[in-house]
Amino acid sequence: MAAPAGPRPGWSRRAQYSLFFGFLAAVAGLVVGLIMLVLSLVAPASYASVRGAALDATSPITGALAEVSATVSGLVSGAGNYWDAANQNAKLKRERAELRRQLVRAQAVAQENRQLKAALNLREHNRAAVAAGRIVGSSFQSPRRFAVLSVGRNDGVAIGMPVRTADGLVGRVIDAGTIASRVLLVSDRANIVPARILRGGTPVISTGRGDGTVDIRPLEVGRNPFKRGDIIVTSGTGGLYPPLVPIARVIRLDDDGALGLPVADPSQASFALVEHPFEPEALAAAGQQGER
Amino acid sequence: MVRSALQTRGRLNRGPRKGVTLIPAASVIAASALAVLPIVAHRGGFPDFGFLMLIAWRLLRADAWPAWWAAPLGFLNDLFTGMPVGLSVTLWTAVMLVMDLVDRRTQWRDYWIEWALASALILAAEAAEWKVAAWMGAPVPFSQVLPAVLISILAFPIFAMLASRLDRWRLGQ
Repeated sequence: MAAPAGPRPGWSRRAQYSLFFGFLAAVAGLVVGLIMLVLSLVAPASYASVRGAALDATSPITGALAEVSATVSGLVSGAGNYWDAANQNAKLKRERAELRRQLVRAQAVAQENRQLKAALNLREHNRAAVAAGRIVGSSFQSPRRFAVLSVGRNDGVAIGMPVRTADGLVGRVIDAGTIASRVLLVSDRANIVPARILRGGTPVISTGRGDGTVDIRPLEVGRNPFKRGDIIVTSGTGGLYPPLVPIARVIRLDDDGALGLPVADPSQASFALVEHPFEPEALAAAGQQGER
Repeated sequence: MVRSALQTRGRLNRGPRKGVTLIPAASVIAASALAVLPIVAHRGGFPDFGFLMLIAWRLLRADAWPAWWAAPLGFLNDLFTGMPVGLSVTLWTAVMLVMDLVDRRTQWRDYWIEWALASALILAAEAAEWKVAAWMGAPVPFSQVLPAVLISILAFPIFAMLASRLDRWRLGQ
């Protein structure tokens, strides 16, 4: 097959002109695109309203489709739960008994903690959630890790607010539309969370790797402080994320750090809670910076 | 009975459909809009459907749409997929201009050359997206992008087939 005739208009002067002006328009489009790209690199906040409006326009479709797929997958996994139910039941009973013992211990510790804090007159932060929404979509086409959340500015969501599930930290809001928002997941390379190991409290830094896992490094160089199965929790440093929210579980050690699997699985969580930043000043800083 | 015999059927009286000039662009927008599917993935490996549809059309026909239409189409893709605004605008317009050059330089084109061209364009686009992500503070290693490149390259023939089917349908052939 010969190459398509392409831009060869023949002798028609009109066709030649329209082709030439089309070419000029394409070059202009390229220049405009470059300017827009530079703008979104240096001043991402300038597109906040456009991106918010786009989220509002698309999220109802995503939400409706998510309902359908949740129903279908629920039917499948629901049927799967009946398989080997007797053994599962016995195992769950054993686990429940163990968890109950742990719960009693935890309640005792919490009570003691309250009394000690009262003795020290420590101020308790308000940890009420701003809004609760469902995670309906994600950036499945790009190397970045974003998720779409079904609550927006109407529900009080603002850029920079931390998002968590009952299990652990999901990420923070980076685009807020009226009825939907976009969340930068913990597993994104640009999301750096100050954290510590729950066992012992060694300060560490958790960085996403872009493939659903996080990279955890200790702040102090030296002996590798991690063990497989360690739970990493937020430390509250920086004031954005509230302290003691589980982030990840260590699954593999490497030479000076560890690889962790986020505790909160955005694809499994039915609801995600948007919370106020731990220190309100952090929200103002995040809004100005418009970091993405 | 008689009336039904009078209706035009079969191979007679076939012509282009209504809005024949808009169908290619509309199909690109529809492919971009697949980004609203409720897929919550741990890693991005899915192809950029809008981009694949765009290069499938451009490789099939030089006159599917005026070259500058790529800019607004790219803008819509940016909004659908949540990429940094301006990335697809730049990339897609650049693809149109590059393909104009390629059309001038190549004498002969067959299925394998088209696939190779598409692979080169996909690799370039993914590399650009990767570089922009690195500038925005998310420098993942390039090896992590390679599966997505491979998947896109393997998915291209599907979009090429879609584009050629749509082309025949819109022209009423």
